[in-house]
Amino acid sequence: MSPTPDKALLPAGLQDLLPPQAAYEADTAGRLIAVFRAHAFEQVKPPLIEFESALLSGAGAALSQQTFRLMDPVSQHMLALRADMTTQVARIAASRLSRAPRPLRLCYGGQVLRVKGTQLRPERQFAQVGAELIGSDVETADVEAVAMAVEALEAVGVPRLSVDLNLPPLVGALAEELGIDDATNAGLRQALDRKDAAAVDTLAGSRAELFRGLLRAAGPADVALERLAALHLPPRIAEQTARLSRVVELLQTALPQLALTVDPVEHRGFEYQTGISFTLYARGVRGELGRGGRYETDESNGRCEAATGFTLFMDSVMRALPPPPPAARVFVPLGTDAQRVRALRAEGWVTISELSASADAEAEARRQHCGYLLQNDHVVRLEPDSDQSNNGESTPTTTDDGA
Amino acid sequence: MTTNETLVLALPKGRILKEVKPLLQHAGIEPEPAFEDESARQLRFTTNHPGLDIIRVRSFDVATFVAFGAAHLGVAGRDVLLEFDYPELYAPVDLKIGHCRLAVAEPRDLMREDDPSRWSHIRVATKYPDVTRRHFAARGVQAECIKLNGAMELAPQLGLCQRIVDLVSSGATLAANDLVEIEQIAEITSRLIVNRAALKTRPRELDTWIERFREAAHAA
Repeated sequence: MSPTPDKALLPAGLQDLLPPQAAYEADTAGRLIAVFRAHAFEQVKPPLIEFESALLSGAGAALSQQTFRLMDPVSQHMLALRADMTTQVARIAASRLSRAPRPLRLCYGGQVLRVKGTQLRPERQFAQVGAELIGSDVETADVEAVAMAVEALEAVGVPRLSVDLNLPPLVGALAEELGIDDATNAGLRQALDRKDAAAVDTLAGSRAELFRGLLRAAGPADVALERLAALHLPPRIAEQTARLSRVVELLQTALPQLALTVDPVEHRGFEYQTGISFTLYARGVRGELGRGGRYETDESNGRCEAATGFTLFMDSVMRALPPPPPAARVFVPLGTDAQRVRALRAEGWVTISELSASADAEAEARRQHCGYLLQNDHVVRLEPDSDQSNNGESTPTTTDDGA
Repeated sequence: MTTNETLVLALPKGRILKEVKPLLQHAGIEPEPAFEDESARQLRFTTNHPGLDIIRVRSFDVATFVAFGAAHLGVAGRDVLLEFDYPELYAPVDLKIGHCRLAVAEPRDLMREDDPSRWSHIRVATKYPDVTRRHFAARGVQAECIKLNGAMELAPQLGLCQRIVDLVSSGATLAANDLVEIEQIAEITSRLIVNRAALKTRPRELDTWIERFREAAHAA
């Protein structure tokens, strides 16, 4: 093995994306955004860096620990590199697009940077694509967000999607309603996040049965909702769960094939969500492909509005996809008419032009990984090599070579 | 993309494994005969259920295999779960086996004159550096942890450091090394753990197994 030069080493969590993955990711992100745009979600492009005070205000504060900062020598203010794009889009909606008619549908795609990756998802820089529906708090908006995320992921070819619907504010509201103190609530929150039934029993005391019931009310949507309905929840909380069941019903009608689960106590990563939220999974793929849900845009930026939306994590989405289909590459010998080559590209071929004449065009085509060769103005398919040696010179030529 | 249709149950080697066996039996899981052979080199075993395999790994690795989705279910001590705190793990069933406690211990002689309220920094030998650091940080003490993988009790004797954080069940090992338990960090039992994405994408299958283990734990 040859020693790797020091220059090749990248900082932890950062990587070079090579062919064909780089093109595949860019292409996939483009196709996802195309689906959003077909739903009239118009694209915005916020900057990579903003004033720290704006980027990390309100909902953005949740990502404060994950944000890189630097000093702006021009304005002498602290700048922050975005760790998430949702707050930027919310800022745009509340400021420059405050007069645009509501509901406002916006989508985006871009790179984000985080101080630390997780052990499971070590990437510190990754692409996000997402959409936000701002200025509407009706159930059909919740449904639109989920359904569009599913449609987009299916359109790019993610197999066996599964959506988990959550109600992140439920436990907090319930604790408040039942008069549970903050310290116990924090412990309870943590135990529920881990589905640690033993700890829930100890912490919830006389309310243990109710919280245990909430834990059990997770699973396939129908079963979970039935169990949730059987619990004796305070009226204010029951309103939220009733809305959840209506959203499930609407989703089941719209997407009867979709694998849908419900988990009312899921909370991690939903720190700023104020209502129905969801997480996207694909069976057999580690971690989540994306998440979204209801939130409120920040008041300090203008006005406070009800919004919902979602973000897809491109690194996870790419893990869920089958390998990219190889491009059809055709080798074009030196001296071929330029118009002809242009016409080939228009037909969808990837053309590789010969730069200096070679003795054996077919061997050269193989060396450059072309599956096809332009010969006497016809595209000829090259039979795959019998032995998989990459060195064109050493491979024996197959049957009749046309040169 | 790896799609593994067979569910994998990760079990810890050693002490806990003996206590897990009756639970397996109660849950209707019969591993292939090679599983009983502690000296076998085989690491993965089939069961009487064609869709369920068992792997036998070190107790800390159970949590890692399940967190990464390489195994779907597992049995892990609460000590391991506290140390890693993987967000991808659920611990839905207390199996009520492997009872012990995670505790701070120090030499008997030191205890007589020690006043923990004056600590600002202590050095601790432990297999659980994260739990230890968090535990002491919560009361304003900086814990410098020396990671050891076993025989913690030797550390104070040989002057590596004064204090240790370790699992204590009867306390006999501590006593034999002239150490005393000064503080308990957590009660420990083994839990059935489940991978989060697996539970969300295959809820029916996993719920069935969770339910079986819950019944087994109650019956025991």
